[in-house]
Parts: sequence; C-alpha cells; structure tokens
Amino acid sequence: MKLRLAAPNALIDINGITELSYIREENGTIAIGALTRHDELSRNKIIQEKCVLLAEAANVIADQQVRNRGTIGGSLAHADPTADLPTACMAVNASIITRSESGSRSVASRDFFRDFFTTALERDEIIQEVRIPIPPPRSGGAYTKLAKGHNDLALVAVAAQASLRSSDVCNAISVVLGGIGSTPTHATETEKLLLGQVIDDRLIREASLKAAEGITPNPDFRATSELKLKIARTLTERTVKTAVSRAHGGS
Amino acid sequence: MLLVDFLRDKLELTGTHIGCDTGHCGACTIMLNDVTVKSCLLLAAQTNNSKILTIEGVSADGKLHSLQEAFLEHQGLQCGYCTPGMILSSLFLLKRNPAPSEDEIKKAIDGNLCRCTGYLGIVKAVKAAATRMRQGGVNH
Repeated sequence: MKLRLAAPNALIDINGITELSYIREENGTIAIGALTRHDELSRNKIIQEKCVLLAEAANVIADQQVRNRGTIGGSLAHADPTADLPTACMAVNASIITRSESGSRSVASRDFFRDFFTTALERDEIIQEVRIPIPPPRSGGAYTKLAKGHNDLALVAVAAQASLRSSDVCNAISVVLGGIGSTPTHATETEKLLLGQVIDDRLIREASLKAAEGITPNPDFRATSELKLKIARTLTERTVKTAVSRAHGGS
Repeated sequence: MLLVDFLRDKLELTGTHIGCDTGHCGACTIMLNDVTVKSCLLLAAQTNNSKILTIEGVSADGKLHSLQEAFLEHQGLQCGYCTPGMILSSLFLLKRNPAPSEDEIKKAIDGNLCRCTGYLGIVKAVKAAATRMRQGGVNH
C-alpha cells in the first residue's frame, strides 16, 4: 500500500486470528499457518531440520523489523516475483490451502502464481495454510539470492531441492528461479539434465548453463536481461552444489 | 492514522522519528509486543491493546540505558536522527543474543539507515553495551 500497488477501500486485519500462526508436522507434511512470521520460519527447528531452504529464504527477507511482522500467507498472496518465499515454496512443492465462506481448497504452488502480483486466489478467499511434503531421507535444499544490498528484493534468486537414492542417483530435483519471470519459474532444462543421474560438480556446471534456457528474463531497473541470465547460471551452480552436498550429508 | 503519527502527534512522543515514510529507513522502529517493527507500516488501530515500547521508555528513573550510554561513549551517533531506531533494534538483538558477533550486529541493524556515522561507531557501541550488560551493568 505504501508503494501504491494497492489502494483498497476497506481493510480487515486478520492478525488477531492467532490460531493461524503455527508450524507442525502432520501426516508426512509440514503444515505452516498463514500468519506465521518470517522470523519464526527462519528459526523454527522443524523447518531448519526438514526444509532448510525455506529457513534460509525466510532469513534473508528484508530486515529484522520486516521479518518480525511479515507472514508467509501475506508474502505468497502478494506474489512479487522477486520475493523470497514464493520461489522457495515452489521448490519444495508446497500446496497452498485457501479458505472462503464456502469451504477450503488446495492449490499446488506451481498453479498458484499466475502473473506479477497475481494469484489463483478468488476474491472471497484467504490463504489458511501452506503444506509442504516432508522430503525423504537423503534430501537436501538450499536458497541463494543476489540483491543490491543486504535487504533488497532479489535480482535473481535460486531455490534447489534434491533427493538421492542409496546408489547416489538423483531421483527428485527441483530448481526454481526467482526474479526472472513474472512468477517463480522452474529451470526445467537443468532439472532434466540432473534427474536420474549420479550428480558431480561437472554435471552441475553443465546443467547450470541451461538454467534459463528458453527464458528471456524481464529486465528491470535493477539489471538487464543479459546480466540476469548470467547471474541465474552462476547462482544455479552454487545452489545446486550446496543442495546436493546436503543431500549426501543427509540433512 | 499511522501508528507513528499517533505516537508523535496524539501522544506527543516525538522520540520516534519519520525518515522516509515508506518502510525503508527504520527511523520509526519501535517494539510492539516485545518485537521490533516499523511504526510507519502499521495503522494505529491495529495496535489496540498491544504493548508498545518507544525510545522514551528505554531509559528509566532519569538514567540512561547501558546501550544509550555506550552510543554516547563510542560515537554511535552524529546527528541523532536514526538513533532511537538504532537503539530499539540493538535492544531487540541483545535481548535475544547477549553476546553478538560483529556480523550479527551488522545484520541486526540492517533495517536502520544512518547517513552520518558510517556505522562503525554504532557497531562498537552495541558491542560495548553487550559486554557491560553481561557484566550486570544498567539493564532495565
């Protein structure tokens, strides 16, 4: 509202619904209430142990005052393509549980973000919960962003989550780029090259060069399209490396 | 009405400053229910029945808080405009982490802009205050 992105006639403050602030394990998923603050997300044990990329993303949002107040539901509903949590949530295949007077529904994060600041939310819906499938053993994730200054929105951000079989073959990989398109975007060519392979540094390098294949990044006042492409490749390489090494380490 | 305007204009607590009014500078930082927030990003009505701490409540009985003394001693301020916000953000850090590293201090004041000091005096002051508070100095 301060940036005049929205000018509502009326506001309903939902901060008083304290029941919407929680992080708990439930039937193989991590359930996160919509009013969970970024600060809580970044420091929560369950998130740090089972979904570390989300903790890393929450920890680099803006500054402490914003992390004390901002919520996961608010960030996802706002759907700024350079924000941290939309990119992070997509990489861990989160579902967004919405609620309206007529009931609730679950929307996969890859279907939730439609365009700049535009989501699948209907006019009478709010976000109630974010649900993340708990990754199997031998999984690892990482979140990296490059921004102008510590507390700015991302020029480019990369979230990567990998799972390995006992044979070290990668059987699940997710690489999502933020700041590139009008929504967080899967680096599908990179994912294709890594899936089903025993991943080493050389393969990561080769796959990262395809990170933004077929995508023309949106230039903005922060960076040109060409610069964003270069950053995307470099950040993808670093982030996938960390994610895979964490998967080997079992975290 | 914004919380910062309510504090300054209605309660006449003018220690909380307005720097940018867009949520970037941190001069209006206060504590709301024991955590730091920017009071230009909240409506006063949202904070009904909440506990609010402004710079006016940091000192007690006419005595400066250890943090305020350390800012004085280590030149943690020049013009003083950002200081109330800096003090509140530092106070939040030290409550959570009584022995912060230099990097942790820098991260904690990331949301507070200072155009005079170059931050070195501020970081020094927070470090000194942390030591004093751990040794049981004035810490109210």
